[in-house]
Formats: sequence, C-alpha cells, structure tokens
Amino acid sequence: MKCSDFQRVLPELLDGAQDDAFQAEVETHLESCADCSNLVSDLELISRQARELEATEEPPARVWVRIAAELRAEGLIREPESTPGFAPSRPVLVRTPPRRRWSALWLAPIAAALVAAGTYVIGHKATPVVAKQDAPPTQVTTPAPVAPQVAQAHPVATPTATPRQAPVQVANKSAKPTDTLETETEPESMADDQQFLSAVSTRAPSLRATYENQLQAVNADIRETQAYVKRNPGDVDARQHLMDAYEQKALLYQIALDRIQ
Amino acid sequence: MTDPKQGITEAEAIEQAKQGHEAAFEVLYHLHKRRVYSLCLRMVSNPAQAEDLAQEAFLQLFRKINTFRGESAFSTWLHRMTVNVVLMQLRKKGLPVVSLEETLEADDETPRKEFGTKDVKLTGSIDRLQLQRAIDRLPPGYRTVFVLHDVEGFEHNEIAQMVGCSIGNSKSQLHKARLKLRDYLKFMRAEKAKTG
Repeated sequence: MKCSDFQRVLPELLDGAQDDAFQAEVETHLESCADCSNLVSDLELISRQARELEATEEPPARVWVRIAAELRAEGLIREPESTPGFAPSRPVLVRTPPRRRWSALWLAPIAAALVAAGTYVIGHKATPVVAKQDAPPTQVTTPAPVAPQVAQAHPVATPTATPRQAPVQVANKSAKPTDTLETETEPESMADDQQFLSAVSTRAPSLRATYENQLQAVNADIRETQAYVKRNPGDVDARQHLMDAYEQKALLYQIALDRIQ
Repeated sequence: MTDPKQGITEAEAIEQAKQGHEAAFEVLYHLHKRRVYSLCLRMVSNPAQAEDLAQEAFLQLFRKINTFRGESAFSTWLHRMTVNVVLMQLRKKGLPVVSLEETLEADDETPRKEFGTKDVKLTGSIDRLQLQRAIDRLPPGYRTVFVLHDVEGFEHNEIAQMVGCSIGNSKSQLHKARLKLRDYLKFMRAEKAKTG
C-alpha cells in the first residue's frame, strides 16, 4: 500500500469502517511509514482533545437582560400563581394593556435621552463626549405639560428630585459635549437611576430588586464597552455594541414605564 | 439537574416556565447558558454574533416551551435548536454551511508538508486555547462540521440532516477540517518555539 492509497482511505479508517483484510494491510503500512503513522496519531489526538473542550464561555449579563425584556414584551412572562414549593426569587412581570400612561411618562424622556446620549457618544469621533448640565435643554427631553401632573399625582419623586427635573438633567447631558467618554454613566446617570429606582420602589416595591439588578448589569456593560471604545476608537463593532447597550438601558426604562404606571 | 441558587430541578423550572414565571425562565437560562453560548461562539468565532445567536436560541426555546413534552432531554432539544439558529444565520449571511473549498483545493486530501522538513508529530496533549484558536481559523464550512461532530458529538447522519448535505460530504469535510487543524497546530507550535 502506498501513502496516497492510505490517505485516500484514511477518513473511513478513522470512522472505524473497514473490513478485517483491509485493516491488516493498513496496519502493515503504518508499521513501515512513520509519516502516515504520525498523521493517524495526530488526527486521533485532535479529535480526542476536541471532545474534551468544555463549555466554559460565560455569556455577558446583558444577554439575559435582553431575553427577559423580549419575553416581557411578548407576554411570555406572566403573573405567577402561588405555587407551593416554588418561590421565584424575583417578582414576575405582567404585560398589561396601556392605561393611564401619563402617570409615569417622566420616564419616557429619560429613555429617549439615554438613546440620544448613546447616539451622540457613539457618533462622535475619536474621543466621544457627553454633556454637562449647563447646556440648554433639547427638544427630546422636554417633559412639557406632563410633569406637573405627575408631580401632583405621584409625589414619590419629590421633593429631592421631581419627575420634571429628571428629564431635564438627562436632556442636558446629551446637549453639550465635554471631552470625556466616561462621564455619561456617573454621577449624573447614577442620580437618574436612583430616581428611577426610588419611583419603582414606591409604585411597585416588589419590582425594585429586579430593576436594580438589571440596571447594574446594563450599567456594567456600558462602562466596560466605553472603556474599550476609548482604547479602540476606530472599532465600529464596539461602537455599535455601546449603542446597543444604551438602547438596552432605554428599553429598561421603557418597560418600567409600561409596568409601574 | 438542579439550579443551586433556586433549589429547584430543571423539570420543575420547565413546568413553572410554562406558567410564565420569570424566575423559572431565568433558572433554565442559567443552567444552559454556557453550553449554548459556547456552541454559538465556536461555530461563528465572533462574540457579538454569538451573543445574538444565544439570545435567539433561548427565545425560540422559551416561545415553544409549552410544546415540550419531555420525550427527549431538554438539553438535547435546546442544543438542536441552537444549532439550527446558528445554521440559519450562516445561511442568511451567505456563509457556506458546507465548505466550498472542497472544489477549490484539489490537493486538500494530502497533508501539506514543506520540502526538506520532517513531518513532526503533535505529541502529548494539545493546549486547549491553541486548539480553540485553530478551530476559529477554520473556514466556516469546515468549522461547522468539525464543531458539530468532534466537539458536540453529533453523528454524521444528524449533521447531514441539519446542514443539508450528504453523509459522505459531512465525513469528507470533517476529515479536511482535522487535516487543517493539524497544520494550524503545528504552525502555532513552531511559532511558539521560535519566540521561545
């Protein structure tokens, strides 16, 4: 048997599909040909080692955040009935038809501003920038006539920060750039998050832990991606990823808008 | 299979997920996230795409969870769904699910060897990271069949069905993938030896 003959039948041989007579011929060749023998050992080694590769890769936390948001949006997550022996660690979300949306409308501008801020950060060249509070408010964040009603109907966000104030602060952040990338999430954004969580606590206390965890996950993702984008300003995929992270945060606010009204 | 944090079994979580309990969905996600994400990552070699694919696989699973009757293992069901999601994505992107290189590389049957060099053997064991890097370098079609067969343990008839090729084609692609991996691994080993 020549090497070329051997290598032609090698796939079947490795698959274990050869008769005894042929097997004897193969073994004779392998005993006399170091190259073919090495080839067989290597291919078997590769196959064996591949089987031992473990599923060690951990997906980022944002993957579950997105899945949960989609499940809620599709109504697949429903209010639990009390089930003996099983107590969900988190409150279960309910997708209900819109009602009295005005009562939590102050969240909508924050969500919009988050996306706007994200868009600005991603779109800005080299050292993307984020806003300070001394800039004039932009159109997207104007809470308009809703805020006074909210303040009156839901004093939860007062007096330290009224619902009317929150969107203005976020709006200003997206209005005037500074020269750093990291400023978006802290400390202004932290204040927004605290306002947000405080409102959730008051209107739907059982949901606070859920939103707090999800905010932490998405904020960590934003910080991590911001740092990466700063080091690699030309990485288009990373910029898109950062935009996605901002959108996720906006989505989180939006979901809250639907649920705590 | 039991989730240590929740203290409930997979079967209980499946039943609770059918009722729409968020915590049950989350338990199932955490039980299987590594395997699903790792499979996606190995098949596409791109973390961002792998995230999207893992997300889509779980969503498809959760949307159909009411149809799960337990005839097969839940993990098998999810695993097949994940493979289908990835293959669908590869097709959408116009990437070859089965490699086209078969028709382009006439000499691919024989292992490449430089003249004047001894055909050294990959002795001992292969470093896990190096093997993973070598798999990442495979052309998409070869990578698909190799990952499905050698890493994930699917049989050629299953691969042929999922990928949409003949069993012979699946075997041929697998063999060529292994040959390429051998070349890559030897090259990496030689490079490492040079740099010390």
